[in-house]
Amino acid sequence: MGSLDSVSIAILLGAVLVMAGIMSSLIALRFGAPLLLVFLGVGVLAGESGPGGLHFNDVQTTYLVGSVALALILFDGGLRTRFSSIRAVLAPSMALATVGVLLTALLTAPVAHYFLNISWTESLLVGAVVASTDAAAVFLLIHAQGLRLRPRVGATLEVESGTNDPFAVFLTLMLVELLSLGQSTVWQVLGQFAREALLGTIFGVAGGRLVVLGLNRIALPQGLHAPFVATAALVIFGTAQISHASGFLAVYLAGMVIGNRPTRAHNSVVAFLDAATWLAQIVMFVLLGLLVWPGRLLDTLVPAILVALTLTLVARPVAVFVCLLPFRFQWREKIFISWVGLRGAVAIFLASIPLLVGLPKAYIYFDVAFVVVAISLLFQGWTIGLAARQLHVALPRAEGSPRRIELDLPGQLEQQLVGYPVRSKSLFFRRGLFPSWSKPTLVIRDEKILSPAEAEPIAPGDYIYLLAPPERAQALDRFFVDMPPTSAPDPHLLGEFAVSGETVLQDLAAIYGIAVDPNEAARTVADYFDLHLDRTPVAGATLPLDSIVLVVRAVSGSRAHVVGLRLPEDEDDAKPPTRGDIVRQRLRKAWKELSGA
Amino acid sequence: MMITDLVAPEAIIPALKVTSKKQALQEIAARASELTGQNDRAIFEVLLQREKLGTTAVGYGVAIPHGKLPKLDKLFGLFSRLERPIDFEALDAQPVDLMFLLLAPEGAGADHLKALARIARLLRDQDVAKKLRASRDAQAIYSVLALPPASAA
Repeated sequence: MGSLDSVSIAILLGAVLVMAGIMSSLIALRFGAPLLLVFLGVGVLAGESGPGGLHFNDVQTTYLVGSVALALILFDGGLRTRFSSIRAVLAPSMALATVGVLLTALLTAPVAHYFLNISWTESLLVGAVVASTDAAAVFLLIHAQGLRLRPRVGATLEVESGTNDPFAVFLTLMLVELLSLGQSTVWQVLGQFAREALLGTIFGVAGGRLVVLGLNRIALPQGLHAPFVATAALVIFGTAQISHASGFLAVYLAGMVIGNRPTRAHNSVVAFLDAATWLAQIVMFVLLGLLVWPGRLLDTLVPAILVALTLTLVARPVAVFVCLLPFRFQWREKIFISWVGLRGAVAIFLASIPLLVGLPKAYIYFDVAFVVVAISLLFQGWTIGLAARQLHVALPRAEGSPRRIELDLPGQLEQQLVGYPVRSKSLFFRRGLFPSWSKPTLVIRDEKILSPAEAEPIAPGDYIYLLAPPERAQALDRFFVDMPPTSAPDPHLLGEFAVSGETVLQDLAAIYGIAVDPNEAARTVADYFDLHLDRTPVAGATLPLDSIVLVVRAVSGSRAHVVGLRLPEDEDDAKPPTRGDIVRQRLRKAWKELSGA
Repeated sequence: MMITDLVAPEAIIPALKVTSKKQALQEIAARASELTGQNDRAIFEVLLQREKLGTTAVGYGVAIPHGKLPKLDKLFGLFSRLERPIDFEALDAQPVDLMFLLLAPEGAGADHLKALARIARLLRDQDVAKKLRASRDAQAIYSVLALPPASAA
């Protein structure tokens, strides 16, 4: 019976700890402290040297939980990544995720070598363990703070953090193998890396497709779709790992494939994984907090802090500036990307691998990683909002976005039901406007369900549900937000042509015969403003495009929504022509007529 | 550049009867087709393409639909006054009753842009717009358009 009791106690303690983590998020939100640090703190407090006094040193369990948690977090990250938003940042993110990680590890290693008195290979392992930015930390800190970054910066950071973990995991495993088994050649290492990456990609894409197929073909009972997808993610992860492919890369890619295809129950899957990711974070950080032994930390505290400082202030910025050299980023964007090289659970998870394998002095990696992560979360995590604003890479919060309700319609995937409360100041209510691709379907008033015809006239306070394609649901928002107070249009702004912010530059170039950089031809006008205006676009902001000037007329969600075209003024209108001009003009006209004939 | 360099006296429709933006574009495309010998369908498509990017209504009840027609030999302008104003999705939400169509050949480049700026500037002038709205026949409209820029201001 005693063993049964100990299981019950473990369950109780575990649950209480996780609960404490959840409750502590309230405190964290109130004081703006980085949440993950708080979870870590809960673990430390409950641990051996804290008031909790729990004895925990099960590296095996930590590794298991860490793997599962990381797989889910990466999968969730992939699920939320839109192909369309990452296409533009694929190259810079990939450079950061591979060359960047290697550079960071290489630049951090010397400090570890000299101050920790370890061999070069061992110090390179220290570098590798702390080299990757943490997807969970980056996703969480950016989203939890309600921070809206300039699209390119945000996407680069997210894709980088999602794709560099597999590389760091690989680098770490490689070095651990080297340390425990001895020699291997550069070519073997490279070959193995290529194989892991390639197989990981294949497993990820194929697995993702299979899940999509299964999700849409198999009639699962309501509510089982989300768990199906979550376990499928772990199956993909496990299969890849067993086949010596990168499981982390595979789940990330699988998530991306699933997130970008129309599937049944997409919303419930995302909601479920959101919850799972939170839980994974909490469990992981609490466990890691438990595992650390602050008494021992003191031995390596000073060198560990030096490693952290080198990493943050030297290695990461150098890696970022080198990797982003071929891409056009502004210096302030590069500084911000350097600063948001958040380290998180991945580093501690990687540091537990040497412990698990039983390398000599394995605790050094763990302790250093712990200090690096704590410092990173404390300083970078706390200042991320400030840094974003100071460096002008943050966009102001979106104007009161309405609460959108999305409902899947079983039986087909093309349409879903999107609901909004009708507001008195909305475009929909004021002008009766809604896009042609959506169809008002039902109205809820005073708890009664009415057809749109019955509900006529629709009043503020009603809820309206429209049929719309899922991928365009967000575009419906602007019809239901409060309109900005209407003011008479600025007379200076009238008299210009207007185009939508979604207009592609090459279309403009074709109509107006202006020259556009071929690299930018496929960009939209709104992207053009995001890229070249070093602040958030506001009405009246201007940017030249060859001989015309683009003027922002209306902004929506902090992006240029309607853009006016200021055409080059006719000089001879502005000042009376001189006699020379007239002669020249006549000559030109005559020449034209001659050459035309 | 004079506006009358762009518009011939016969390229003026003094009282166009239309009820929608689409119909208006169709009508002026048909008229432009008669005068230039280009396919009316092609002209309509070009104008529609441009409207898809954003409205060519510039406010104050004026619209300047425009586009490029590769086979054209020179800039072609056509002015029309609508009998009844129509919705043109203008930014200031004002219905449109004055329309200036401008078609440009492939290599028109700077001339095209200058002509558009010139037209926009002329029609933005409230006095000119008032005179155009008050004119009942093509002859009267042509004489307003023919006013030199200085006296129009």
